[in-house]
Amino acid sequence: MNLQLGVLEEIILIILLIRDETYGVDIAKEYQDQLGQSISLPAIHVVLKRLEKKGLVTSQMGEPTAERGGRRKRIYTATNKGYEAARDLQQKRSEMWKLIPKLHFSI
Amino acid sequence: MNKPFRPPRWPEKLLSRFCRHDIADEIIGDLHEAFIWRAETEGLSKARSKYFFESLRSLKPTNLKSFHHLSLNTMIFRNYLKIAFRNLLIRKSFSFINIFGLATGVGVFVLIALYAFQILTFDHFHENRDEIYLAYKERITPDGTQATYDTWVPMASRLKETYSEIEVAAGLYNTEARIVKNNQFLEEDIIYTDNSFFDIFSFELAHGNPGQPFQDKNSIIVSELMALKYFNKTNAVGQSLQLFLPEEDTTMRFIVSGVLKDYPINTSLQPQLMIQMTSLPVYPRFANNWSNSFMYTYVKTSASAEELEAQFPNLVEAIWGEEIRENTQFKLLPYEAYYDEFVGNKADARTLLFIGLGILLIAVINFMNLSTAQASQRSKEIGLRKVLGAYRGQLSTQFITEALVVSFLSTLLGLVIVLLSLPYFNEFFDLDISIHLWPWWTIVGGTLLLILILGLLSGSYPAFYLSSVRVLDVLRQKLSFGKSASLRNGLVIVQFVIAVFLISSTLLIRNQIEFMSRKNMGFDSEEIMTIYASSHDFTNQEEGIVRLNTFKNQLKQKSYIKDIALSRAVPTSWTRSFTFVRPDDWNGDPLRMRFTYVDANFFETYGISVKSGRGFMSDSEGDQRNSVMLNEAAMEAFEFKTADDNVIKIGENRINVVGVVEDFHFESLESKVEPTLIFHRTADHAVHQFITCKIEMSDLQPKMEEIEEMWNGLGSTNTFNYSFMDDRIKRMYESEERFLGLISMFSIISIIIACLGLYGLTLFIIQKRRKELSIRKVLGAEVTGLLRLIFKDFALWIGLAFIIGVPLVIYFINDWMQSFYYRTGVSWLSFGFTFLLMAVLISLTVGYQSVKAANVNPVKYLKDE
Repeated sequence: MNLQLGVLEEIILIILLIRDETYGVDIAKEYQDQLGQSISLPAIHVVLKRLEKKGLVTSQMGEPTAERGGRRKRIYTATNKGYEAARDLQQKRSEMWKLIPKLHFSI
Repeated sequence: MNKPFRPPRWPEKLLSRFCRHDIADEIIGDLHEAFIWRAETEGLSKARSKYFFESLRSLKPTNLKSFHHLSLNTMIFRNYLKIAFRNLLIRKSFSFINIFGLATGVGVFVLIALYAFQILTFDHFHENRDEIYLAYKERITPDGTQATYDTWVPMASRLKETYSEIEVAAGLYNTEARIVKNNQFLEEDIIYTDNSFFDIFSFELAHGNPGQPFQDKNSIIVSELMALKYFNKTNAVGQSLQLFLPEEDTTMRFIVSGVLKDYPINTSLQPQLMIQMTSLPVYPRFANNWSNSFMYTYVKTSASAEELEAQFPNLVEAIWGEEIRENTQFKLLPYEAYYDEFVGNKADARTLLFIGLGILLIAVINFMNLSTAQASQRSKEIGLRKVLGAYRGQLSTQFITEALVVSFLSTLLGLVIVLLSLPYFNEFFDLDISIHLWPWWTIVGGTLLLILILGLLSGSYPAFYLSSVRVLDVLRQKLSFGKSASLRNGLVIVQFVIAVFLISSTLLIRNQIEFMSRKNMGFDSEEIMTIYASSHDFTNQEEGIVRLNTFKNQLKQKSYIKDIALSRAVPTSWTRSFTFVRPDDWNGDPLRMRFTYVDANFFETYGISVKSGRGFMSDSEGDQRNSVMLNEAAMEAFEFKTADDNVIKIGENRINVVGVVEDFHFESLESKVEPTLIFHRTADHAVHQFITCKIEMSDLQPKMEEIEEMWNGLGSTNTFNYSFMDDRIKRMYESEERFLGLISMFSIISIIIACLGLYGLTLFIIQKRRKELSIRKVLGAEVTGLLRLIFKDFALWIGLAFIIGVPLVIYFINDWMQSFYYRTGVSWLSFGFTFLLMAVLISLTVGYQSVKAANVNPVKYLKDE
């Protein structure tokens, strides 16, 4: 598979894989928990749109809730293709990682 | 669920208005939820600011509705525009009144605003204007302080040396030079200064070395205008220019070392030619001279002016000693105040701006009134729209749109009027208004702003009022316009007040100016011609005196010259020279008093009556050395009781008072006649600058030609420069005359616009009441009775307008007249005339329609029911 994934795209894709079903604010919370950094919602939305376009995630509308001011959420799920893309990337990276001569950085 | 935190609402509205529907819920919902989450974890303010910025960042192109979707409303909008134009076309007379009236109002306002802002931003060209001061001197006299602005050549360098707070100081002297070209002498303004000038003022060089504009003693800096005039190109650096300097009596050759960049017309200093003071051969004589003052000294300092002024007495003492410290002080005039002191009057510009706003208000009121008046005719349309489901907001939008269409058309038309009339306006009032002073975006932005303000202002009330009409009332024909009528009446009264204000102010200002130009000045102003003739204007001064004397004697031979006199100064441009003088037996401080020189024939030529004593005797050596004549004001200042045997002292010189002349107004009636010493000098002296002739005025042309020919044979470097005294007097009141001209024109325009509106309003009132009038007529009412019914309201409005307007006028006029020492009071006749004028105009405006309505056959309007 030949898909370019940005770092943020990859992280969010992994979050989607962890959470199974999730949406914007939830991703922001998870991101903050895992990485200890805050992230803005428009940034997440852009990434989600991009992932969806690449076929790595799918989405459907959820039910409106009061804490959302009566707005519905869009729930995202990673597709198989998404899972494969993340996994391939991970594997390739581990293989490459093994090639780094450890001695150089032993100090 | 309890929700303590709510995000602000408007970002949500914004997003749901502009975001694609399929994403709007997601974005807004997420933002909302995140807000609550963040408010709990990070605090409210942080949540709020993140909410705000993330909302804005969510408005990215991919999230937005396509233009096509957005413009779902253009259809209804297009409908509004269509209806707006249809309405304009259906009611042609109303539309004409609206658009034409508003356009005239806009035109006048823009014209005034251009003029006023040009004046109000005078000298704003200088970036450091807040730090620039004119250093000047004040004499402390028993009756207060007298300011004179000329200072000494060493003043600038001395100030800079003494006070470290003063960053730069420059001396400046304005005078005239003659450019010698092909044996001709061409008169140009010149400034003597030095390189520091460029550190104070914002003039820049287009060509030359900005670090050192003047290179050496032979350097001259010219304006672009001069460069083009004498060298036919702007880069004139290195060219040479020969100058004759009349005051210095020398001819010198200069090399252009710099060409000034073009500068705006609304600056007080308009340098054309500039040389350094140090270039002058006479400079060494003045370099350390603390007695002859003629320079203007400018300083630039960021320190406070008061603190500097407080230190100046020590400097005065260091220069002249302790005695002078008591009666002289140095002051700093902020450059911002320069315009009012020397050039004109910013208050007049401000007054005009208010007048412009008043006229605009009259036009806007016309529009508001006519629109609400149309309400009854359009109420069915409104009702139907409501029945078909129009929201109130939509109706308001519709009316605002209509108002914007009208204001758009009128503003554009108004601007066209401005552009077309500007040259004539400038020429007629001798003004120099230029739109090139303003960058294009201020003009475009200003126009859009004006359209918007006018549209909202004139459209908001009708929109608010008309859209609130209740459907049932409309359909049942129960609509009452009582509330709008009372507001309308109020607005008409405002228009009348503005009209009363403008008309009576114009009349009162006219009174004062008439008074000043008619008042007996104390000397003859008719048949008096003055010729500027100074021996300094000859390349050889001695020769000049002889030649001018010959010229004078030749003139005397002419049969049409009845009298001839020489003098240093003439009324209207009287002396500005002062001396210290005291009565012989006086021990107190000397008085500072003006003095001037005349020849023996002066009083007779001008018809100035000698009150006591004798005039000067021609050729009397004694008269020339130790005799003086006083005016009455001087007699009073010296406290002389009797007319004879008075002696005054200037320094240690005793001078006999040989006579007293009646006070004559040698300056404008703005100022009081001041004490003046008048000395005698014969034609052999170089002090005289004017030849005054009493001349037979009939068939003037050939006489003037003859005199000019005689003058041209003299060899003066000056051209034949003459004027008539009555013109000179008129010119003294030029700025007042101009102000009067402007305000007269504007009041006429305001009346026309107001009458236009009134005409429209009458049209409407009569249309609405014609059934009532017809029924009254059927029941036996007289035509006069019907007319009285219509006119009653208008009479009441005029009355109210006067009650409000007259105090305003009195307040304004008293304020305006403060600047004149000799003034007429507020004449009630002017108010009477105003009343009469308005009554006549209003009767004519209202009358035609009313008489037509009252005389119509009642059947015409009653038969269709």
